[in-house]
Amino acid sequence: MDNLARAADYLNRCSKCGGCQAVCPLYQETRAEPYVARGKLFLLKNHLEGKLPLSAKMKEIMSLCLLCKACVNQCPNNIPVDQLVLGARQKIAQEKGISFVKKNVFQHLLKNNGRLTLAARLGWLYQRAGVQWLVRKSNILKVFGEEIVQKERLLPKMAKRPFRKQVPRFLTCSRPKLRVAYYTGCLTNFVYPATGHAVVNVLRRHDLEILIPEQWCCGIPALASGDEKTAAELARKNVEVFQRAGVDAVITDCASCGSMLKEYADLLGTPEAKAFAGKVLDFSQFLSEAVSFRAGEIEVPRLATYHDPCHLKRGQGVFEAPRRLIRKVPGLRFKEMKEPDRCCGAAGSFNLTYYNLAAKIGRRKVQNIRETGADFLVTGCPSCIMQLRHMLELENSPVQVLHLAELLSMTYSSQGQANESGRGCSHAVS
Amino acid sequence: MLQSSLINEIKKIVGKENVLATLEERLCYGYDSTPEAFLPDLVVRPDSAEQIQKIIKLANLHLFPVIPRGAGTGLSGGSLPVKGGVVLDLTRMNRILEIDEENLVAVVEPGVVTSHLQEEAEKRELFYPPDPASLKTSTIGGNVAECAGGPRAFKYGVTRDYVLGLEVVTPTGEILRTGGKTVKSVTGYDLIRLYTGSEGTLGIITKIILRLIPKPEAKETMMAVYERLDDAAKTVTLTIKRGIIPVTLELMDDLTIRCVENYLQIGLPLDAEAILIIEVDGPADLVKKQTEQVAELCRASGAREIKIARNEKEREEIWAARRAVSAAVVQIKPTKISEDIAVPRSQIPQMIRRLKEIASRYQLNLVIFGHAGDGNLHPNILCDQNDPEEMERVEKAIGELFQAAVELGGTLSGEHGIGTMKAPYLKLETGEAGYEVMRAIKKALDPNNILNPGKIFGSERNG
Ligand SMILES: Cc1cc2nc3c(=O)[nH]c(=O)nc-3n(C[C@H](O)[C@H](O)[C@H](O)COP(=O)(O)OP(=O)(O)OC[C@H]3O[C@@H](n4cnc5c(N)ncnc54)[C@H](O)[C@@H]3O)c2cc1C
Ligand code: SF4
Ligand code: SF4
Repeated sequence: MDNLARAADYLNRCSKCGGCQAVCPLYQETRAEPYVARGKLFLLKNHLEGKLPLSAKMKEIMSLCLLCKACVNQCPNNIPVDQLVLGARQKIAQEKGISFVKKNVFQHLLKNNGRLTLAARLGWLYQRAGVQWLVRKSNILKVFGEEIVQKERLLPKMAKRPFRKQVPRFLTCSRPKLRVAYYTGCLTNFVYPATGHAVVNVLRRHDLEILIPEQWCCGIPALASGDEKTAAELARKNVEVFQRAGVDAVITDCASCGSMLKEYADLLGTPEAKAFAGKVLDFSQFLSEAVSFRAGEIEVPRLATYHDPCHLKRGQGVFEAPRRLIRKVPGLRFKEMKEPDRCCGAAGSFNLTYYNLAAKIGRRKVQNIRETGADFLVTGCPSCIMQLRHMLELENSPVQVLHLAELLSMTYSSQGQANESGRGCSHAVS
Repeated sequence: MLQSSLINEIKKIVGKENVLATLEERLCYGYDSTPEAFLPDLVVRPDSAEQIQKIIKLANLHLFPVIPRGAGTGLSGGSLPVKGGVVLDLTRMNRILEIDEENLVAVVEPGVVTSHLQEEAEKRELFYPPDPASLKTSTIGGNVAECAGGPRAFKYGVTRDYVLGLEVVTPTGEILRTGGKTVKSVTGYDLIRLYTGSEGTLGIITKIILRLIPKPEAKETMMAVYERLDDAAKTVTLTIKRGIIPVTLELMDDLTIRCVENYLQIGLPLDAEAILIIEVDGPADLVKKQTEQVAELCRASGAREIKIARNEKEREEIWAARRAVSAAVVQIKPTKISEDIAVPRSQIPQMIRRLKEIASRYQLNLVIFGHAGDGNLHPNILCDQNDPEEMERVEKAIGELFQAAVELGGTLSGEHGIGTMKAPYLKLETGEAGYEVMRAIKKALDPNNILNPGKIFGSERNG
């Protein structure tokens, strides 16, 4: 039985109260019932009852979901809408197959390290191709008109060298209290190495032994496209690598990767996967709960606001930790924005496929950010960062978008950074 | 089915992208918040009264049904396309056209979400009181069409009490304007009242002029727990006798309390027969005094525990219990049939006893909560849609509970409307003469029975 059929019970629990309309960002922009949770669930129910085939239209409707879980949070009947949408995408992928390009990308993700870089490039390529296909095919896009040029600008440049090639695999210090592994995520590795350096810089101040082992994509792009098989294979590989490393915690800097890694337990169901998933902590969670965080002494006399990534707040229940850390930055003032936990529209590569729709969602976010008058927008997910930087740039806004790690890293004297071995710390390449 | 030439004509009126014709899209406009669903032939998303007028003219020419639809949160089946036809989705018409602070009125399009208007009004220290529990999603158009009420109705009245003027596209395709920005108007028949609560059967509301009031300065919230239901009822009577009109007097019965406690674990007493949530508002010093008086009355009538919220957080905690009701009760069984009878306030204990007796006779799970201040109760039957034998008992029980409400001098529906769900029982309350007058009005205004057929007049399905 597929995941969708297993979840059929949930479909009967939808009382069609419409409560999800109030929170679904897609509904708020389109006000079209097929895109809100209630509509999607009703269609899936019809499908499971044999009244509706998995048509191209169904495929489009199911792909129009940010998986932001806003509806899940709101639903009085606790229906895991995102899981049902994923189940549907999986079934569609099984029945219809996934596109040739996507298949290639995901296959490459499974291959060794060298190819990963290639896969990342292919990924961009695929997304560009996908975008063009959708522009031609999709009806909903016509409502909003299309701006290919904008979309090109959304894609940030790839790093010249991936982050993991820039750092040693093993960093230690004189009296390590914990041994941790850093799961870097693909965006940090290929696009935002600065985030990676900041994460390492902050972690290094906390008496840790840090491993950055060779690793694989977390699998969320594959899963989100309905390719559960590839996702599970990637999961198995990651579990193996990190369990072998024998660490106390696996730290991620990416909300989406983090929520995916934590779901390995359910995805694989093995004891190893459970043990692994139990060790996964978001960067902010780790600093705030596993060690006692020490900020540096450099003042940051600015005003900051914080954006809750969907996969951090609703996906992992982490929203207090980052705020606690931000408040510890010397000299920094913090101001909460309106609707801090509303999706920014990024949603993996949703913003590439449905650029204008995502941009509409993003504009509301940007407006909320700007209303605070903040200098810094801090968040915990590279995917949100990509979307928000782009959206703010379009408005020529001076607001600087920072990963939490980058903000915290600013507080330490650069001395430590110049001298890679830092205070009593040294590293060796394993 | 509509002919493709006709669909093309409609596309020319509203634009191609605002006509939804795929099976998937049509399915999503064939349900509301009742358990039922039907399939419309087409979904059309107009943007102006003029577009609607053209579509209605076509409908009269080609004789297809037109069903106005807001957010689709109705609880009586009002927006269900029971006879197919064109669902007219009005959510794109969602502009707040004006908030006139001098005359205390708002002019809005029908698709405006209720809570959006409230937020905009409150930004200006104004207040739009009607507050159906669905206010974060329901539309003003839907509220007017159903004459929605809410917990605040006891003090502030229902939607009807705030409608000053309307623009309506009639079932034959004329545009009619009635009322305006004045508080008084006696020019001819009161068409505003006719259209308010007409459930989309007499016209499509395309513009609404609403009365606003100044925002009350302060508000206090409290919760009182009773061992006996009669004591809760006594509190209500005593409070009103004292000349205090609380904004809300929400009642939850024993089974509701147990469901909520099971669900939330917030320490509600499992042996209590009733809980009242009471809110008073007005000028700050008066509110303070009244809160103390009400607490005193609660005690005097036998409340065993009284909790007054000291801050916003505690207020939220009290309301959390009430808000959890919907979710909590479906844990018993998945299908929830929500009724909303209303009886004269003094008959509440009697009505609740009758309800419980009916439920036990038909062996049904029944929870009761509602607005004790105005006698509007929400008996909810929890059942399983997929169990035909049980659904049959439900059907019978509903017939009896309507009968009981009418016998006690009450009404079938306090705020949800008749729609399809209550249509078979309409005559119970209106009698033959009342029914005939209503039908005559419908026939006169909508000779071709275009608008929302099959609603209200259920005993003859053609309306
Ligand atoms: C969880 C929940 C709680 C609720 N709580 C309350 C409550 O406390 N009080 C209450 O009164 N109701 C309540 N309701 C019922 C419902 O929300 C109201 O009836 C609301 O007014 C419906 O608005 P809508 O926009 O969803 O209208 P719809 O459901 O789309 O339509 C309702 C009716 O209005 C007609 N209609 C809609 N728009 C127009 C228009 N512009 N012109 C002409 N006809 C139109 C439709 O044809 C239909 O007959 C609740 C519903 C839910 C799901
Ligand atoms: S909030 Fe939950 S129960 Fe209500 S319509 Fe949405 S999915 Fe269904
Ligand atoms: S997950 Fe987000 S985008 Fe998807 S239906 Fe729910 S609220 Fe809408």
